Amino acid sequence: MTDAKKSEVLQGTLDLMILKTLHALGPQHGFGIARRIEQVSRDVLQLNEGTVYTSLLRLLQQGWIAAEWGTSDNNRKAKFYSITARGAKQLAVETENWERISGVVGRVLRLEGER
Amino acid sequence: MRNGRISRLRAFAARVAGFFGSRKPDNDFDEEVQEHLQLLADRFVAQGMSREGAAAAARRQFGNTTLLQEDRRELRTLVWIEDLGRDLSYALRSLGRSRAFTVVAIATLGLGIGASTAIFSVVDNVLLEPFPWKDAGRMVFLRIHDSARGQEDGRQGYTSNEFLELAEQNHVFDGVIGASEDLVLYKQGEGVEAFDGARITPGTFEFFDMPALYGRVLQPTDYRGDAPPVFVLRHKTWMQRFNGDPGVLNKTFMLNGTARTLVGIMPPRFGWFDADVYIPETPLHGAATGLAGTAAQWFLLGKLKPGVSKAQAAADATVIANHLAKLNPQDYPAHFQVLVKHLGDSVVGRIEPTLYTILAAVGLLLLIGCGNVANLLLARATSREKEFALRAVMGAGRARLVRLLLVESLVLAVSGAALGVLMAWGGLKSIVVALPPDVIPAESVIELNPQVMAFTFVASVLTAVIFGLTPALQATRRDLNDPLRDSGKGVIGGFRIGRLRDAVVVMEVAVSVTLLVGAGLVMRSFVALRELHLGLQADHVLQALLPLPESRYKTAAQVSGFFQPLLARLKALPGVVDATESSALPPYGGEDSKIEISGRPHQDEWHALFQGISEGYFRVLRIPFKGGRGFSNAEITDARKLAVVNETFVSTYLHGENPVGQRVKLMQVETLADPARDQWFEIVGVVGDVTNQYSFGSAQGLQAPIAPAVWVPYTVTGSEVQVLMVRSQQTPTALMNDVRQAVWATDSGVALAFPGALEDRINERLYAGPRFAFLLMAIFGCLGLTLVTIGVYSVLAYATARKTQEIGVRMALGAERADVLRLVIRAGLRLVTAGIAIGLLVSVLLGRAIEAELPYGVKSYDPLTLAGTTLLLVVTGALACWIPARRAARVDPMVALRYE
Repeated sequence: MTDAKKSEVLQGTLDLMILKTLHALGPQHGFGIARRIEQVSRDVLQLNEGTVYTSLLRLLQQGWIAAEWGTSDNNRKAKFYSITARGAKQLAVETENWERISGVVGRVLRLEGER
Repeated sequence: MRNGRISRLRAFAARVAGFFGSRKPDNDFDEEVQEHLQLLADRFVAQGMSREGAAAAARRQFGNTTLLQEDRRELRTLVWIEDLGRDLSYALRSLGRSRAFTVVAIATLGLGIGASTAIFSVVDNVLLEPFPWKDAGRMVFLRIHDSARGQEDGRQGYTSNEFLELAEQNHVFDGVIGASEDLVLYKQGEGVEAFDGARITPGTFEFFDMPALYGRVLQPTDYRGDAPPVFVLRHKTWMQRFNGDPGVLNKTFMLNGTARTLVGIMPPRFGWFDADVYIPETPLHGAATGLAGTAAQWFLLGKLKPGVSKAQAAADATVIANHLAKLNPQDYPAHFQVLVKHLGDSVVGRIEPTLYTILAAVGLLLLIGCGNVANLLLARATSREKEFALRAVMGAGRARLVRLLLVESLVLAVSGAALGVLMAWGGLKSIVVALPPDVIPAESVIELNPQVMAFTFVASVLTAVIFGLTPALQATRRDLNDPLRDSGKGVIGGFRIGRLRDAVVVMEVAVSVTLLVGAGLVMRSFVALRELHLGLQADHVLQALLPLPESRYKTAAQVSGFFQPLLARLKALPGVVDATESSALPPYGGEDSKIEISGRPHQDEWHALFQGISEGYFRVLRIPFKGGRGFSNAEITDARKLAVVNETFVSTYLHGENPVGQRVKLMQVETLADPARDQWFEIVGVVGDVTNQYSFGSAQGLQAPIAPAVWVPYTVTGSEVQVLMVRSQQTPTALMNDVRQAVWATDSGVALAFPGALEDRINERLYAGPRFAFLLMAIFGCLGLTLVTIGVYSVLAYATARKTQEIGVRMALGAERADVLRLVIRAGLRLVTAGIAIGLLVSVLLGRAIEAELPYGVKSYDPLTLAGTTLLLVVTGALACWIPARRAARVDPMVALRYE
């Protein structure tokens, strides 16, 4: 049961990271998104790259991103994902949420440490 | 929050699309994954790995693709529909395992749905929407009601003058039509046969706005004096007399001596005035003659203008009636009012209370049925608490458990509903057969009512779902460990559900008491009715109307010139005991007349019913003489002014004195078309009372008080209705052909109209309605009782089974079998007693409320019915307790203690 909770947090975080990636870099395919997260997290996050696709589907269903078939750099067929206007708005909301919560959590943790 | 809901909605829409959409996205995804893996592998190779190592490393980094597919599927489509199939097959297996439960639950539901749908369909088709006309709700008829009389009866036939006044002077009707009864004779074989005809006024077919099935309806031109004579035929008659042969259209028939062309055959639902043939007639001012030479009587039907109420119409018609009453005071009571009645009231009067009683009974039955299903589901679910707890522990979410139970409940409900539809269909067929004739509008077609079916279906499904789910919700709300630890000691677990079950049983018993008390009351009414002595013996009597053609039979001498030889012929027939002429058929007592008795002045009006008879009358009907004598054949032939009266006449007007030799004057005889010059009759005999005030549509029926009656020789006037009654040795209808031949031998132009057994006719009119009610109530009472017995049994059996261990402990500690028996039975009877108490209270209160509606003056708190019902329920309740109690008492303490 606790496992499920942990993955849930992770899921939400992954969604947020993907949105941010697409917002920052523009249309990307799944592989590109995985590379970007790998690069930014500097190998801190151990990521099953497959879960990126679950996240992408979830975001698609919410209408926060759109998908389109295109051609990759090495001239192969690939699906490109891009953030929608609604997705951008959601990203702003989620980012603010995240900062508030992580701020609170950070403060709480610091308090705990001072004792 | 709002945002969350919308996004959930959006996701749901995407899933629905995914469920119904193509499988292409799955292939796309595979491609995407392969591409990704390829890119990863390429990267590893670039970093110096071997091809194989790189592929493996890529797969490792990507994660489990199968799991991923699963996740995506769950996201993308409505997984629960796919799971539903699994739940369905599980539900079927699980229901199949407890077969008894399943059968009882489905049968109960089916019964509830079927019975209530069938009955309500009848009520709807007969009472609420019987007519196929567009504006049936605005069609009303008028009744002149004597304010001095209690019931809302009165005359509803009007002379041509009255009809024209009402039709032309009113301000409230969009249209007014009239119909007048007319016996129509037509040549058939060696003699003539009779049709029940209606003369109908211009505009009738426009009023109803219904086209003919074949040919055409009557048109304004058909009413012109020089128009060729035509008529229209009713569908039922067409089928019965002409086998539905379309060839009869445009044929010419001799109807009452006039050659008329059949121009139209009406559709099945056209049954206006319950006539066989429709003949155009324009009412004219002045005298017109109708049935058997009496003045034509028009039944008047008006269509209220939109927005006009019945009260407004009554006020308007009263103005006209007051004017008419001034012109013809003898036709109106001293104080009268005009009643405006809806068209439906002209037919359904007698069956209405019966149908509503049965409808109420069916509602109660449905309630018991739902209660039973609820109880069965509760008991079953409680015993599966452990199973549910186990499922929850294994990780089934609450939604998953609810879904499982929901599927099970729905399987039950849908099977029950399917059975219900079948039962409703079959039940309706038998009801239509059992329905007494003549009490429903000819236009009504009784068929299944889809709305009602939908209603009962929803009610049953809701019951099944609500009570099927309660335990699931309860089970998942609780600590999962509780039921798992519970070894069935009966103390822990299911306490709240137990209470609910008890309440349902009490409710069921209470409702059942109410139902049985109702059935008992109807039964008492019926028995009371059957025990009522009619005052005559109707068995072995053939009766028929003998309408004599007016042209040749105007005077008393002409009429007796026909009947004397006919009666002689009939009496000579083998198998005939006796035969008589009469002017009325039992249970009707003849025509009403004001009377005078010589030497007895009085202020108020005196009335009596009178009819003309021949000398065999009292012998044919076996009416006993209480004093004096009957008429002799010679006295009849000579048309002597003699009279026989009934006992009520003597007690009402003569204070019980010997009436023989007194003289009575029948004022009505003066007004007949063939009047007797002297209206004074000498009383020669007194007979026992015979039921004679039975009037169509009267709620009092047979128990209406008997009216004073006078019988006189039929030979004093030629203007009465002529009825023939023949007492036979064998089945009366077997004589029908011989009697018809005798009639035709006497005069080939006379028809034996509407022949039949007198007993059948009386049964049909007097007992058919109550018997129908009694039959249905008895069936419903038994069904209700059975259901309640099952309900009490299932709850007790279940509770006892859970207490096996407790019982074992008690017995191990020295309790006797009798103690255990008593313990279990007492627990059950407590519920039954509580239910009976509530039910009796409700019945008495309900009975008081409907006392006025009760048929035939049966008291609502009939002690015998109440006591009988109580006894019946105590006995069945005890029986339902006895079986589980005995099982409990047989428990082996050692086994019970080890019972896990």
